[in-house]
Amino acid sequence: MPTSEQPAACYVYGIVPADVELTSDARGLADRPVDVVRQGDVAALVSEVDPVVPLGRPADLMAHQRLLDDAARDVPVLPMRFGAVMTDARAVVRELLAPNEAGFRAALAELEGRVEYVVRGRYVERAVLTEVVGENAAAARLREQIRGRGEKEAYEARVRLGELLYRAVEAKRETDTGRLIETVSPYCVLSAVREPTHHLDAAHVAFLVDSARRSEFEDAVGKVGREWEERADLRLQGPIAPYDFVLTPGG
Amino acid sequence: MTVVQPGGGGGSSSGGLADVIDTILDKGLVIDAYVSVSLLGIQLLTIDARIVVASVDTYLQFAEATNRLDLAEKEKPGVPDLVGGILSSVTGGGGKERELPEGAGEEALAAGDEQVLEAAPEPDEAEQPAVRRRNRSREG
Repeated sequence: MPTSEQPAACYVYGIVPADVELTSDARGLADRPVDVVRQGDVAALVSEVDPVVPLGRPADLMAHQRLLDDAARDVPVLPMRFGAVMTDARAVVRELLAPNEAGFRAALAELEGRVEYVVRGRYVERAVLTEVVGENAAAARLREQIRGRGEKEAYEARVRLGELLYRAVEAKRETDTGRLIETVSPYCVLSAVREPTHHLDAAHVAFLVDSARRSEFEDAVGKVGREWEERADLRLQGPIAPYDFVLTPGG
Repeated sequence: MTVVQPGGGGGSSSGGLADVIDTILDKGLVIDAYVSVSLLGIQLLTIDARIVVASVDTYLQFAEATNRLDLAEKEKPGVPDLVGGILSSVTGGGGKERELPEGAGEEALAAGDEQVLEAAPEPDEAEQPAVRRRNRSREG
């Protein structure tokens, strides 16, 4: 049901083994039905997309991830980054699946029975600042200098103090990230540290976990969460499709 | 559904829109590394994955936050609204933590902004996977 005069294009969500089946309620972007395009042992999950309507509304993003996370609960998936669109299903076969069939098959075999989790920690501001101020004599001195002086008068000291604290929080993030990985590593296959998305991030790490060890992994994360209570909030997202553990050749 | 939060509470397995943005715009296979011939140049509206950029403003916010520690020490606990100052001021400021992809969809982003982003519904937890293995009756 394209709304424009141009023929519908083909949105690609991800690569799966050819022996998957869809339930009739599998829906993708703009609530379009999802199809499977097969080539040998591998297949792509696709749906029609209107080629003149820009992509990327919140609902589009959520639909992309929902379909793949849902699939990842039952089958290995190589998730595409959001926004992969090809002209039609024939192009998907000829240009994406056929030339890369062996590589996709091998990658899917490695991901069989494995899922991804993402752990994010966020420091409780007051707790972490109290920690770093207490551990840092230079910060304590700067605070003395600033105390009782006007904002403009103490501008340089405030910037210096702020930078000092920022760096100290960065160092804590590195330590705490290492501690998190060390604690849960017996229960995961791989880990990949993500860039922080906030100045008060305590950790941001993706983990690849064998489905059989999910509850042990979740328990281990819960244990770290309890250890960090009061100073950082820990959040576990997953299982999701293994976005952090697929590699694009040359990229 | 699996969300661990020390203070209790829940959430969906896929997380909110911010989590989705960090994941699907920044990770995953990139099709144009495989294909260049028939890839369509559909315009992407989206903002790029979020990144943290330190600046003098950030430093001043940290300094200001320690200033509030002094207050807390004097007034003693029971002042919950002192907590989370940086969190609210940084995330509320917009822009600072997000970078636009070059050229693409800036007006759309400006029009979209946080409210629209936050209006996105949480994903439903499906009863059954919509994509699943066929019954394993493969010979050999």
